[in-house]
Amino acid sequence: MLEVNISGLNLKSPLILASGILGVSNSLFKRIFDAGAGAITTKSIGPNPRKGFRNPSIIEIYPDTFLNSVGLGNPGIDYFIKEIKKTKNQGITLIVSVFGDSIETYADVALKAANAGADALELNISCPHSKVSSIGADKNLTFKLVKKLKEIIKIPLFIKLNPNVTNICEIALEAERASADAVVAINTVEAMIIDIHARRPILSHGSGGLSGRAIHPIAIKKVFDLYKVLKIPIIGCGGIFEWKDAIEFFLAGASAVQIGSALSRGIDIITKINEGIENFLKTNKFKSINEIKGLSHEYELQEVPEYE
Amino acid sequence: MNEKPLTMVKILKIINECEQVKSFHLQTKKMQEKLKSLPKPGQFIMVWVPGVDEIPMSLSGCDDKGNWTIMVKNVGECTKALHGLKIGDLLGVRGPFGNYFSISTSRSILNVLVGGGTGVAPLRFLARTLKDNECDFIMIEGAKTKSKIINIDEFKDLSHSIIYCTEDGSFGFKGTTVDAFRNLLDKEEFSDKKAVRVYTCGPEKMMHEIFIECKKRNLQLQASLERIMRCGLGLCGLCVLDPLGLLVCKDGPIFDSETLKKLTDFGRFKMDFTGKKVSL
Repeated sequence: MLEVNISGLNLKSPLILASGILGVSNSLFKRIFDAGAGAITTKSIGPNPRKGFRNPSIIEIYPDTFLNSVGLGNPGIDYFIKEIKKTKNQGITLIVSVFGDSIETYADVALKAANAGADALELNISCPHSKVSSIGADKNLTFKLVKKLKEIIKIPLFIKLNPNVTNICEIALEAERASADAVVAINTVEAMIIDIHARRPILSHGSGGLSGRAIHPIAIKKVFDLYKVLKIPIIGCGGIFEWKDAIEFFLAGASAVQIGSALSRGIDIITKINEGIENFLKTNKFKSINEIKGLSHEYELQEVPEYE
Repeated sequence: MNEKPLTMVKILKIINECEQVKSFHLQTKKMQEKLKSLPKPGQFIMVWVPGVDEIPMSLSGCDDKGNWTIMVKNVGECTKALHGLKIGDLLGVRGPFGNYFSISTSRSILNVLVGGGTGVAPLRFLARTLKDNECDFIMIEGAKTKSKIINIDEFKDLSHSIIYCTEDGSFGFKGTTVDAFRNLLDKEEFSDKKAVRVYTCGPEKMMHEIFIECKKRNLQLQASLERIMRCGLGLCGLCVLDPLGLLVCKDGPIFDSETLKKLTDFGRFKMDFTGKKVSL
C-alpha cells in the first residue's frame, strides 16, 4: 500500500531520508532503512574531503525548527565509494547526493557514485550556504549541468531545488527540459539568527538554512506550484514531523517525500509516520499514494479580483 | 520534546582544579526553570564560546538552584579560549542532552567509579548523586602525575571513598587507573560480598581496558563515550558508533557492557569532521 515508483525506482515506502541528515555512515543507513524508509539519500558528496564550517553549525531555534550551516562537510567520493558498495550489498535503496565546483567535477563525482552502485543520484545545486546554490538559482546553468549529467548517467537523476529564488518553477522547468527524472522540493530556506547578548550571528558562518516545522507550509506551496507546471515527479521535502504533514505533500502533488529534521526525535519516527500514512489511506478507502497525489488541485481557488 | 535553545549564561565561579584544568560554574538557573527536570550525571551540554567554536562537555555538577558546572582541560582552540574567560563573561549553552548513568539505590550494591584525567568530570557529579542517595561507592581517580590530579580540596568530604593514583607514583597508588581497579577487585573482601557496578569515563583506551577487566570478572559496566559532534540533536551523524549505528548524542553518551561488546568502534575509531573514520 505504501509502495511508490519514482522514475522507475521502486520504493517500499514514500518516506525517503533527506540529504544531510545522519548521512555518512552505512550503519546509520541500515538503521534508518530498517525503520521503514523507502530509500536513503546520503549527505552531499563532493570531489574532495571537506570539513565544513566550525560549530555552532546546527542548532534548534524553535521546537522542531533548525538552523544549520554545515557547509557541505563530507569525506569525498573516493572514500565514500566503499560505503556505497557496502550499502548496496545490504539491499538498501540508495540515492547519492552529489555536488562539485564545476560541471566537470559534478560529472566526475556522479559517475563514480553511479559506478559504485547508487540507485539514483540527487543533484545538490541548492545548498544555501555554499557556492553550489548559484547553479540552482540560475536556469541556464541548471539546464547545462543537468543535460551534461544526463548524457553520462543512466540511473535516475533528481534535482534538489533551491527555494531561495524568485521563480522556482522556471528553474524546475529547465531541469525537466534537460531530462531530469524528478525534482526534490525544497532545500532549506536561507535564514539567520543573532544572539542579542553576544550581538552576533550564532552560526559560525552567520547565514544558514532553515529546516523543520517552520518551513513545511513554504514547501507545500512550492510543491503545489511545481505540480501545476511539471510533468516529472516531485519529491516533497520540508518539515515532516507527523503523517499528516506527508499527506499534505501528496495532496499538493508530491509522489514521495523526504524526512530530515524530524529524525532528531529518534529514528523510529519513520515507522510511526509510515503507519499513519497507511491508516489514512485505509480509513479513506484509497489503495495507494498515487490515488491521492495532487487531489488538492481539483478545487477551484479564488482568483485575484479585477479592479472595479 | 523539550525546547532547548541556545542560551547565553554568565560564568559565576571559576575553580582551578589542577594544571591545565578549570571548572566553570554557570548561571543556568533561569534556563533550568524552563526544563522539566534537573540534569542527571552523564548528560552533556554544548558550550559555545562566541567567535571560537562550540563543543560538547559533560556536566560535572549541578547545585540545588539549577546552576550547572563543567570541567575543562585546556587542550584545543576552544578550551584555550574558555580558560581565558573571567567571572561574569558569557557563554552559549544548549542542553542538557543524552542519556545518563543508570544507578540503583540498593544498599547491596557497591558502585565503583573509574575516572582518568578530566574523565573525572561526570563521575564527580555521579559520586555526589550516589552520596545524596546514601549509596556505597569507591572512586578511582587517576592522572599521570600529582600536578594533574583534579583538585582534592573540593572533594574532601568524599575523600574516604576515593583512591587516587598516579602513573609515576608521585601521589597515591603508583600505577594506572586500570592497575588500581584490578588491585581493588583482587582484594579478598571483594570476592562475593556485594554486587559490583562499574562506571567509567576517561581516555577511551583506558575505558576499553576497564571494559575487558569487567568482562573477565563478569561485572556490569557503564562507560561515557565522547565523539565529534555538530548538533547534539541526532541529526549530523558524526557521533555514530559502528556497526550498530548508535549515536553518542542520543543513544549515549553512556553505554553499558552489553552494548559496548557489540561496538567494534569502541576503543578504536571515531569519525572526523569530514565523516571519515579515523583511529582514536
